Parts: sequence; C-alpha cells; structure tokens
Amino acid sequence: MPDTTRLQFQDELAGLERQALGGLDFVCEALDRAIEVVQHQDVELAAMVIADDDRIDGRYLEVHQGILSLLALQAPVAGDLRLVAALLHVIKHVERMGDQCVNMAKLVPLAGHEPPADEQMLAMIARMGELARSLVQQCKLAFERRDAALAQDLVRQDDEIDTLNRQCFHRALEIGDDPDQREWAMHMMLVARCLERIGDNAVDIGEQTAFVVTGLFREFEDASHPELAPGGGS
Amino acid sequence: MSDQVTERSERDTDAVPAARPDVPLTQGIAVAHHESTGTDPWAGDKVFEIDGLSVAYGGKTAVKDVGLDIFRNEVTAMIGPSGCGKSTLLRCLNRMNDLVPSAEVTGTALYHGQDLYGPDVDPVEVRKRIGMVFQKPNPFPKSIYDNIAFGPRVLGVKGDMDEIVERALRRGALWDEVKDRLKDNAYGMSGGQQQRLCIARCLAVDPDVILMDEPCSALDPISTGKIEDLMQELKERYSIVIVTHNMQQAARVSDKTAFLIVELDSTEKNRWGQLVEYDQTEKIFTNPADERTEAYVTGKVG
Repeated sequence: MPDTTRLQFQDELAGLERQALGGLDFVCEALDRAIEVVQHQDVELAAMVIADDDRIDGRYLEVHQGILSLLALQAPVAGDLRLVAALLHVIKHVERMGDQCVNMAKLVPLAGHEPPADEQMLAMIARMGELARSLVQQCKLAFERRDAALAQDLVRQDDEIDTLNRQCFHRALEIGDDPDQREWAMHMMLVARCLERIGDNAVDIGEQTAFVVTGLFREFEDASHPELAPGGGS
Repeated sequence: MSDQVTERSERDTDAVPAARPDVPLTQGIAVAHHESTGTDPWAGDKVFEIDGLSVAYGGKTAVKDVGLDIFRNEVTAMIGPSGCGKSTLLRCLNRMNDLVPSAEVTGTALYHGQDLYGPDVDPVEVRKRIGMVFQKPNPFPKSIYDNIAFGPRVLGVKGDMDEIVERALRRGALWDEVKDRLKDNAYGMSGGQQQRLCIARCLAVDPDVILMDEPCSALDPISTGKIEDLMQELKERYSIVIVTHNMQQAARVSDKTAFLIVELDSTEKNRWGQLVEYDQTEKIFTNPADERTEAYVTGKVG
C-alpha cells in the first residue's frame, strides 16, 4: 500500500500491543517463580511473587489508559478497531494470570511448614506448570504473528492441563488419612486449579487472536456446549 | 400567517406520504407509503438499482461500471478519496449530470424499477422526487417562508401554503427556531440553519429520496450533529444517499456504505472512479472484505 498515513497512530497502536504482550513475559516470570515456590515450599520467594504482581497490575493500568486515549483521540476502525478491542481483553487476561500466580504463592504458606508432600501430586503440578508456561508463550507468539492456527492449537495443550487438574483432584481424594497431608493436598488442589485457569486465560487470548485475524469471535471450547466444539469436545 | 398555522405538539407523521414509487416518472401523484420489513439487510424495497453504470465527461471516463442497490428508508453513504466519482455517481441519481452538456451516462439506473434515463422520463419530475442538498448552504435571497414555498409554488401545488411551509420546517427540525421570523431574509440565519432550511426546502415538494453532497462539510460540530440527528428522523419517511469525506459521519449516520476508489490505467494518465465494496456500514467499519477498503477507512492510504 502506498503513502501510509496516520503514522503516529500506527506507532501508538503497535506500542500498545507490545506493552500488552510484554505483560505475558511478566506472567512467565511470575509463573516460573510460583512453580518454584510450590516445589520447594519457598515462603520468601512467595512474598516476592506477591510483591512483583504490582508490575503486572501497573502494566494493566498503562495499557488500559492507552487504549482509552486511542479510542477517544484516534477513533480506530476495521482491523485497527478489532486489534484495540482484542488488546483490552488480552491485558485483562494478563492481569488475571498474574493474580493466579499470586494465589499460588499465597497458598504455599497456608499448606503448612514442612508439610508431608506427595511426590506424585507435585510431579503433576510441575507438569501443569510447564504446560501453562508453554501456553502463555504460545498465545503471545500466535498473537504477534496473527497466526490463527497456532492460536487454535492452544486448545490441545489446555486439554492436557485440564486432565491433570482432574487427576490432582482424584489424587487429593485418595491421599490417605493423615490430616496434615490431607490439608496439604487440598491446598495443592487449589494450586492446580490456578494453573488450569492460566491455561484457560491463554486460550482466551488465542480466541482474541482468531478474532483479530478473521473478524469473527467464537470460543474455541464452550464449557456449556461441549458438543459444539471441534471433534465433539472432550 | 400565524393565525392560519395549526400548532402541533409534535412532529407530524400523518401528512401526505413521501414516497410514490409505482407512479411513472412522467407524472406526479402521491401513493401509499409502505415500509420494508424483515431482518435481511438486502431484502428491503429497492429505491435504486444501479448496474454497469458509467459516466464520462467529454469522452473521459469519470466513473466506470458501478453496480449497487439503494434501499428505501435507509441512509446510504458513499465514501472514497477525492476524484473517486462519488459526487458524480450521486448526481446520476437525479439526473443532475444532464445539466453538464458533455456528460454521458451509460448502463442501467432504475428508480423503483423505472429507467431513470428512459426517453419519456421528465427530468423535472425526477428532481422533484429525488431532491438534493449541496455542500454549501444555498438558500435563495428571499424570506425563510418564501424559500420553502418556492418549490411548491413553481410546481403549482394546491393547498394551504402556510401548512406546507410549517410541515417542511418541522420536518427540517427548524420550525421552533424560525417560527417567529418567517418573513426574515434567509441570509440572516446561521450556516447550520441555512443548511436545514435547504433540507426543508427540499422536503417541501414532498420528495421520495434526498441526495446529500457533503452536507456538513461547511458546518460546525453542533450544526453537524443537528443535521445528523435530522437524517435519522428523515429516514423514517425518506431514503437518503449521502456523499461524505468524513468517514466517522458515514459510520454514525448510514445503514450501508459504498466505498469507491480512483483507478489508474497503465499509463497513469487516465483515472476514473470505481466501486470497491458496498456493504452494511457496520461491516465496512469493523471487518471490511476488501483490503483497499480496510486501508482507506483505517487511514493507511493517503
């Protein structure tokens, strides 16, 4: 296309996208630390994860304000409008993922001092952490590349997280009669739930990618209508 | 005058129906008004059916091979860069190009199924039913009253002229502002009022379609807002086609939008206007099908 105009607007929009997606890098850092907190019952690191969430919250406020200004001053339309609308969703999901990392960090001190950890459950949570991290990175890449197929592929990994989440639940149910271990297992079940939610948020960002690319919004997976999902749902 | 005018508490809606689609363009008689129904945006009554329409001035093509349908009780916007032929196309819709000796129109332009350019069609009758409002307000150097009464008088309209004037001014959302100074010269009005007077003057002859060629480009934002509000009221009775450079205005007021571009031949010496995309306005401004439309509405092409 010749003679591109509105350069300042295009720069501002691209900057907002970088800021919003950069929030996902913060999420990856927080997630890595939160997993380490869980694996090593590291209470001090937990406090750092909680404190560092201010960075993600600050990023949310910056992007949100930037989008409001852009809407008010530049009146974006068509593909630009879809991108702006999608970024509003993206930054909200970033903020929620950050909160889930905080939730995980807060659960560890509650699980007790030197608790009787269950290796099998810890291994499942570690695997869920890897998958969640991979999903966060992949949703960022898909959005950056405007790659709807890569975005759709997020569902595959998210299904694995969902399966592990259910397995954690069952493991907690059959963990035995020791009250301390049962209490620990209940808290780990909540940690697994946090990771499962991060996966869902990544898939939601994938849906926004598809919306930006195609102009049509549809859920990759509809929990209330699993029969409508591609392949009949899981 | 004021003694004869019947005060109405609200805008009249029971006056003579505006549209007269099934009456030949060789005569002028009002017929019953009926509204389009249904949710399919392309299923309404068609006011214009344009197909393969081209316009040339002095043998030089200005608009080439345009095809689109314009629907009743809708606002249809035409947007595009300067020189894309949107005003030329608009002027084809009420045969204003007839006034340009070198203009040549080819293709089909049906108005309620009748050939606008048919041999028996009376251009005066066409322009009576398909009125036009121009970029710059152009009231006559006469009183407000006489501006409105001018058309009906020329056309020999029978009836209470005071009532006709009041009805037109009410429909033009101007009555309350001017009812106490109808004998004042129209030149004493503000630009926005003058433009609404021109719209009211157009309405006085009870048209079916109103063509607007950048009607707000000379107006301030308040006056522009009033005209845009007025368009929403008027489309209940009339069909409106608007040419605008203001894309946000097209987005705000129109139901459907046509996007035209300037095409160049390989020598880059000959240029003409061409229709790129015609769709519901919401689609054009959220998810246009053609990348040239996307580039234009997002301002990525200068």
